[in-house]
Amino acid sequence: MKQQALQHFDMPWLPVSALILFVICFIIYFWWTYRSQNKNFFQQMAEIPLVDEVKHKRNLYE
Amino acid sequence: MSSNQMRTGKPETFTYDDEIVKKFVIATLLWGAVALLLGVTIAFQLAEWRFNFEIPWLTFGRLRPLHTNAAIFAFCGNAIFAGIYYSHQRLLKSRLFSDVLSKVHFWGWQLIIVSAALTLPFGITTGKEYAELEWPIDILITVIWVVFAVNFFGTIIRRRERHIYVAIWFYIATIITVAVLHIVNSLEFPVSFTKSYSLYAGVQDALVQWWYGHNAVAFFLTTPFLGLMYYFIPKAVNRPVYSYRLSIIHFWSLVFIYIWAGPHHLLYTTLPEWAQTLGMVFSVMLWMPSWGGMINGLMTLRGVWNKVRTEPSVRFMATAVTFYGMATFEGPLLSIKSVNAIAHFTDWIPGHVHSGTIGWNYMLISGILFYLVPKLWNTELYSKKLAHQQFWLATFGLVLYIVSMWVAGITQSLMWRAMDDAGRLIYPNFIETVIKIVPMYWVRAIGGTSVLISFIIMMYNFYRTIKQASVKEETIYEAYALDASSIEAHASAHRKLEGVPMIFSVLSLIAILVGSGIEIIPSLLADKYIVKVSAIKPYTPLELHGRDIYIKEGCYTCHSQTVRPMAHEVVRYGKASNAAEFVYDHPFQWGSKRTGPDLARAGGKYPHMWHYKHFWDPREMTAGSIMPRYHWLFDQKLPYTGIPAKMRVMQKLGVPYTDQQIASSIDDAKAQAKTIADELAQSGVPAKLAEMEIVSLIAYIQRLGIDYGSVPDEPAQEEK
Repeated sequence: MKQQALQHFDMPWLPVSALILFVICFIIYFWWTYRSQNKNFFQQMAEIPLVDEVKHKRNLYE
Repeated sequence: MSSNQMRTGKPETFTYDDEIVKKFVIATLLWGAVALLLGVTIAFQLAEWRFNFEIPWLTFGRLRPLHTNAAIFAFCGNAIFAGIYYSHQRLLKSRLFSDVLSKVHFWGWQLIIVSAALTLPFGITTGKEYAELEWPIDILITVIWVVFAVNFFGTIIRRRERHIYVAIWFYIATIITVAVLHIVNSLEFPVSFTKSYSLYAGVQDALVQWWYGHNAVAFFLTTPFLGLMYYFIPKAVNRPVYSYRLSIIHFWSLVFIYIWAGPHHLLYTTLPEWAQTLGMVFSVMLWMPSWGGMINGLMTLRGVWNKVRTEPSVRFMATAVTFYGMATFEGPLLSIKSVNAIAHFTDWIPGHVHSGTIGWNYMLISGILFYLVPKLWNTELYSKKLAHQQFWLATFGLVLYIVSMWVAGITQSLMWRAMDDAGRLIYPNFIETVIKIVPMYWVRAIGGTSVLISFIIMMYNFYRTIKQASVKEETIYEAYALDASSIEAHASAHRKLEGVPMIFSVLSLIAILVGSGIEIIPSLLADKYIVKVSAIKPYTPLELHGRDIYIKEGCYTCHSQTVRPMAHEVVRYGKASNAAEFVYDHPFQWGSKRTGPDLARAGGKYPHMWHYKHFWDPREMTAGSIMPRYHWLFDQKLPYTGIPAKMRVMQKLGVPYTDQQIASSIDDAKAQAKTIADELAQSGVPAKLAEMEIVSLIAYIQRLGIDYGSVPDEPAQEEK
């Protein structure tokens, strides 16, 4: 009985392909991120928020 | 160490636009108080219905959408903009792209919020949760979001820092995804300036709505706040994030996975089985990136945990990240079908939601504000003692809230499902399950009040902080202009990508569109697959108007309209719902909570007189009911002349009304109203009732489930 309409999509390949795509993407960016050559660069980039490079302050009432 | 140490070229001096940040900070505080006050008001209304003072625009169904919109878009929205505008400038070492656009953004967003406050309490709503604002406001939101995006990306173009720090990745994903979500979900056909119908119907509308609804949580309440976390926690403790590499994994995994999870709001409905399973699987997968982010945030505090005790900003942020971990553990748990079967439609869900919005969003916003306010106003915090009192009050209130809703939710669910050996419901009267949890509603209201008081303490603390600020200074900054020396030698492909924000943005867009497309597109083509049932007819003109009253009064905030294929639901309500039932429902009204019973099979269950008395005073028919009275519907005249315009729009949306039906719609509506009124008149009800709005609402309720109920279970009358 077709009580549950909309359940009959004949596209099982669709979610499976997406899952495979995700796994492939994940492996690629995981490998890239944890490559030893990138370590120093990322350590430098992690410091960006801490560098404000203030020159001086100006009193606006002066 | 900065990348500038390797840089050559000409140093430039510049200032940041902190005035706009101050404006957003003040707006955050004001709207936060409003959102919490609204939340406490409706919490008390659930404990004692008289707290609506029998004023139409103060009833739960009208105020609940205002509370959610105020909390998400007014409170959190303004906080996001304050945090992003402050950190974005500093991470890129550049003033915002345009002071004018910043001001347009600020005042435009406040106009949107005021518009919401002036429409939702008066029943001007689309009836789609978290997207209730009507089409003119939707357009305004789109325009202001574009202004924000131009200002944001313009600043990136003018930056002096080559690398785009991970916080900005989260901001980019937010801007792009919210734009896509808002536009797709808000596609609607206007009837008038204050009324529209969703372009989608039934199952499609449900899928699009919860794809939006879930990702509003993901990309409005999560990703921008994670970006803020990656900036403000390192700043507050003056040390870099624990693992920048983990933050990259966190970003890409979260952006890719989150967008798929929406269907977990529709488990056991008539949504395709594969879409439900996909939503569940991806929700469970969300554990990994979510906890990766939480661990990264907390581990940034390694070695400086003492600051949690002494510094309000660190204390609030650490607690926020902890609650983020708890909420993102509970979310995937609730998405598992067997758990969802117990928790869905119960108070467990609002408990889960508030562990996120109060525990994560409110706490993180507080932490950010404790960092920002003294810096922006160039002064010291007025009182750390008050900040700590605020913290304990907020935490105490939140724990009361969560625990009471756990207890209420599990109690509800167990009572709904309880059946004896003969297959009969042990609690056949729904009201028994309501009365049982009212004490928990009181506990929740007290918890919410505690959170509201904590917020007022913070407002006072900041008021005194700002008041004591005397010296107004402007800080001048210096950095190298962006030139060839900023490019790393022998940079890899992804490294170059990090310096090209537009390509990066496009890839982020692709990541969210892959999931969105796979989920939504098949269902948008549902006409090819849906098994139509010839017995399902469009609503009559009077019922159509009654449906709009149902939406206007926010009935969907307490009543669902979908029966799940579970024994106890079928016994209690009637046969399980079928996708074909909803093909004319623009918008769908499945709801997400059962404070009251499901109404999918309410039609014909009681006589007209029962509904007449019930809407006048629910206690007359159901002792102990917490539903408000709707006495104004007995005084407001039914605007018959507006019905043809509504039917014409429905016709354009695919509802098979004929021109002749539209032409005779006023007469048909009056005739149906007279039939109902005549029946009621036999019981002594005044004959003038045929002119009043209550008749249309009764007509609509009496229609629910009637068509599908007439279809024999086996064999079904089906046609392709």
